[in-house]
Parts: sequence; C-alpha cells; structure tokens
Amino acid sequence: MLVSQIVVNGILLGGLYACMAMGFSLIWGVMNLINLAHGTMMLTGAYVTYVLWTRFGIDPILSIPFSAATLFVFGYLLQRYVINRVVLRSIFFTLILTFGLDMLLINFNIVLFTADVRSITTWYSGLALDFWGIRIAYTRLLVFVLALLITLALHQFLRWSRTGRAIRATAQDPTAARVMGVDTAKIYAVTFGLGSAMAGATGSLIAIVYAFSPVIGDAFTLKSFAIVILGGLGNMFGALVAGIFLGVTENLVSGFGEPGYRDAVSFLLLVAILVLRPTGFLGRRSYGVARA
Amino acid sequence: MALPEPEPAFATDAPRPADAARTAAKVLWLLLPVGLALLLLAPFQLNLYWMRVLSMACMYATLAQAINLIAGFTGYPAFGNVVFFGIGAYSAAIIMVKAGGSFVLGMVIAVLVPLSTVLLLGPALLRLRGHYFAIATIGLNELVKALVDNLGPLTGGGMGLSVPLPPWGPVQTTRVFYYLLLATLIASVAVAAWLRFSRLGYACRAIRDDEVKAEAMGLRTTMIKTIVWAISAMFTGLVGAIYAYWFSYIDPSSTFDLLIAIKSFVIFLVGGAATVVGPIVAAFFIEYLSTVLWSQLLDYHLGIFGLGIMLIALYTPDGVVQFFRERGQVLHSFIRRQDITAG
Repeated sequence: MLVSQIVVNGILLGGLYACMAMGFSLIWGVMNLINLAHGTMMLTGAYVTYVLWTRFGIDPILSIPFSAATLFVFGYLLQRYVINRVVLRSIFFTLILTFGLDMLLINFNIVLFTADVRSITTWYSGLALDFWGIRIAYTRLLVFVLALLITLALHQFLRWSRTGRAIRATAQDPTAARVMGVDTAKIYAVTFGLGSAMAGATGSLIAIVYAFSPVIGDAFTLKSFAIVILGGLGNMFGALVAGIFLGVTENLVSGFGEPGYRDAVSFLLLVAILVLRPTGFLGRRSYGVARA
Repeated sequence: MALPEPEPAFATDAPRPADAARTAAKVLWLLLPVGLALLLLAPFQLNLYWMRVLSMACMYATLAQAINLIAGFTGYPAFGNVVFFGIGAYSAAIIMVKAGGSFVLGMVIAVLVPLSTVLLLGPALLRLRGHYFAIATIGLNELVKALVDNLGPLTGGGMGLSVPLPPWGPVQTTRVFYYLLLATLIASVAVAAWLRFSRLGYACRAIRDDEVKAEAMGLRTTMIKTIVWAISAMFTGLVGAIYAYWFSYIDPSSTFDLLIAIKSFVIFLVGGAATVVGPIVAAFFIEYLSTVLWSQLLDYHLGIFGLGIMLIALYTPDGVVQFFRERGQVLHSFIRRQDITAG
C-alpha cells in the first residue's frame, strides 16, 4: 500500500518535471543554449503567483497566465538585448552569462521576497481523494493535469502554428529559414520567451503544491537537464516518461532509503546516463540537430 | 644587372601579428620577476587582512590555472572542477581528524584521491563534449556533495568537520599559508608554461581545435585528455587541502560550492584562454574587486557579482593578455619605427 502511494505521488510529480523540462529543452534544442537560470526563473514565476495570492487574493490556478506572461516578456527582452550578443560565441560565455543571470535573479528574489520558505494554502489545499486506500491530494492531481495540458499546448503550438513552424525551421537550419523569409533574430527571442514562460507556468504549479525559497532553483535546473537527456532533446513524450521515472525513483529513494539522497538520485542518473548513453534512451529529436 | 627591389607586400612599419605578440609576451615575462619579488616580500609590508586577500587571490589563480589546463588548452569546459577542491579538502581533513595523520600526509592524499577519480571517470566523461561535459561535471560535483552530506560518520555530514588548528601564532600562520599557496601557484604556472611548449600541450590544442582530425593524426586523444584533466584535478585537490587546514573548518556547501568553480572560471576567461600569465593578473584583479564589493554591499553581493559576471561574459572578448597583445602591437610598431629612423 505504501509503495503504491509513493509511486502515485511520484507519477504526479513527474508531470510537473516534464513541464519544467520542456521549456529548458525548447531553448536548448532551438538555440543550442543551456539556460542555467531556468530553475531560478521558475521560482520567479512561483513568486508572481505568491504575490498575486497574498496581495490580491487571486487563486493560484488563475495566476498561471500572469506568471507565464511576466516570464515571457522577461525572456524575450533578455534574449533580444543580452543573450543574443554571446549566442554565437564559445559555450564558456553562454554558460557564464546564464550563471551570472542565475545569481542576479536569486539575489533579486531574496531582496524582494526574503529567503524565508513560502507556501500557499488555499481552501482546497488539504482536500484529498481516497482511491482504494491511496490518498491523492486534489492539488497534486490538479497540478499534474495542468502540467500535462500546458506541455501539450506548447507541443501543439510548435506543431501547428505559423510561429511554431518558424521555430522548428530555425532549429533545423537557421540559414535556410532566413532564406525562406523567417526573421530568425525575432524567432530566437520568441523561443527564449516561450521557454521562460514555460518556466513561469511551472513555477506557479510548484507554488500550489510545494514550499519554496529563492535558493532551490539550481537543483531544478540540473533535474531538467537529466530529464532532457533521458527523454531526448525536444521529445515531449520522452520528457513525460523521463519526468515520471525521475519522480517515482526520487520518491522511492526518500520513502525507503535515506531522504537525504533524494536529490542525489537525479545527479546520479544524470552522470550515469551521460556516461552510458549520451544520446538518451527515448531517442527522437524533434527540434532538429543539437550541435553538441 | 640589378633586379628592381620587390614591393613589400605590406607597409613596413605595420608589425606582423606574430611579432607583436612576441613583443608583448617579452614585456609580460620581464614583468614576471618583478611581480614575483613583490609577492615574496608582501608579508613584510601588508597587514593580516590584506594578507588574507592576497592568499585568496593566489588560491583562485591556481584554481583558474587548473581550469585553464583542461578548458583553455584542451577545450573541455570543466565547470564542476570544484568537485576536486571539495574532495581534496575532505581527504586532507579526514586523514588529519579520523586517522590522526599529519598535514603533509593530508596534502599527499588530497592529490592522490582526485588523481584516481579522474583516472577512473575521466575516460568515460571526456567522451562528452561541450554542454554535455560541462553539465556532467556539475552533476558529478552535486553527486559527491550529496554523498558527503549523508556519510555522517566519516565526513561529519552537514555539520562539517573541524580540522585541528595549526600550532603557530597568527602572524606566522598567515605567512605559512600564504607561502604555501604562492608555491602552489608558481608550480601551476610552471606546469602551464611547460605545457605551452611541450608535445602534450600541442596535442591538447590540436584536440581543442579539431578532435577528429587530431585523432586521425594518430594522437591518443582519450589518454591525453585524461592526463591533462588529472593534472588539473591534482592542483585543485591540493588547493582544497590547504584551504581545509587554513580555514580549519569545512562543510559540504562551502567546499563543493559552484561559486568557487564559477569564480575560477571567470578568472580564467578574463585572463584569456591558454595563456600562462593571464589567470594570475585576473585573479588579483577579481579578488580585489570581490573584496571591495564584499565589504561594501553585503545584501547585494551575490547579485552584483552575478551582474559583474554577465558584463564580463558580454564584454571580454579574449582576456587581458590579448588586451596587452594588442597594446603590444602598438608598442612593437613604436620600437620598429625607432629602428627605422635610427637606421
């Protein structure tokens, strides 16, 4: 009974992980850029939700568009005016730049919201569904469904919309895309904005279920990386499977082993996958070639 | 019958880049003994506070030089190199606290453990390139940090380990650690200087520029990369051991701290990749800047440092040595012009 409870919680967490990793993977796949600030940008989204809830009483679920929009604007401007200047240079510079951004954002979050651990308690926070003895909190179920919907929405957007097609074309071959009349500079900014918006939306979801503080972002960034490698770059289904796998494994380790090793699971997975099978297990890349 | 003098292909007073670089290099190398003398005499002039700053600068210069070996010469962005710093610090501390060994033995072990770690993991991890390698090393650092955090009986866990205090008075202690760190720095510079002109160094740069071609030329790339990373790890581990005894208290979050890695990486970038003197100049500059900021803006230190890193990434094209090389070009043409007018 305990095992099934742990597994169910792991699966529900996995949906959140998949949503988080999709934004990271979009930026990486299209621009060949690792955004080391992804986890902290996500927390900024969580704080948007927190502020809207405490100051204006807006329900966390309704605040998702706000956090996504805030982060979209932030990401768009950031790419256009800052990241674009180093994107063609050696990866030393992009890694350093996004790490600097990460520090700046952490400090910004600490100054604005203090380093205290925050959580949101709504009227439905404590309610749970009893499913043959397995207790499923409504918030977790809700967050899982929302995470899936957001991920699916991004996928459909990339697949069917005009902008989405331009993004995929740019990922495959920037020169050919330019020849075909795609404004690639703008597409890069939109892509970074979309990836950031995904981070913001995931942040809102995290705020609904978990307690958070400004300094926990980096672990999420590394988890995103592990999921993307495990599931394949730009592969939505892969991200979902990998996210659920990570969520379940983490919960099993902290449930039956040492809770202190919880985060170590994803780091071990990360190193092990990279050593054993750097191309991932679930194959197909849908944004085009990653130039490693 | 005399042939007409051929037209020179370029204006005679415009120096060729290689000559200019050599002139700049000469100037920098001439400054080196002066700098060394200043560093050796510094403890007799500076107070304890500034000695500490200077010692930190030596420490970071060594760490940056270690990054330079693997990232600058070989092109592998070992972002998580700080893992060897932590391993070194903990190896030395465990030897001294749990096994009752001396500090010298601790330093030896702190070099050997990172060495064997690289020999074990290097060949597998060094197959990865670019982002994959960078993130794999960060993952390794976080993994080892989590292990150290949870192996309480051996490492003290999150409580950390207290290392016995050195038996000397405060002034003497400061000097001992300063000279120890300075000696490590000089050793690392010597290795970098040797690497620059050795077969191994040329092989490294061949790998950095095109690994497939290097392999096709018959270079044993995996072995070369592993050796260079091992040297880098050994220096990093040694510095970690000195740090542990110097600070006499270590815990996982202060020794496996990615900020240390980033700072040494930034120093390496500011100094310019694959140069010998660059990281030293940059370390003293960054450490001075960091100290000034630290004492002034405690609440915003992290953010200001982050902003500084971003500006460096945006506006530092090739590091300080390149800056001096360009100035060297001016200097060179000035000297040449003197020659021309004299002759």
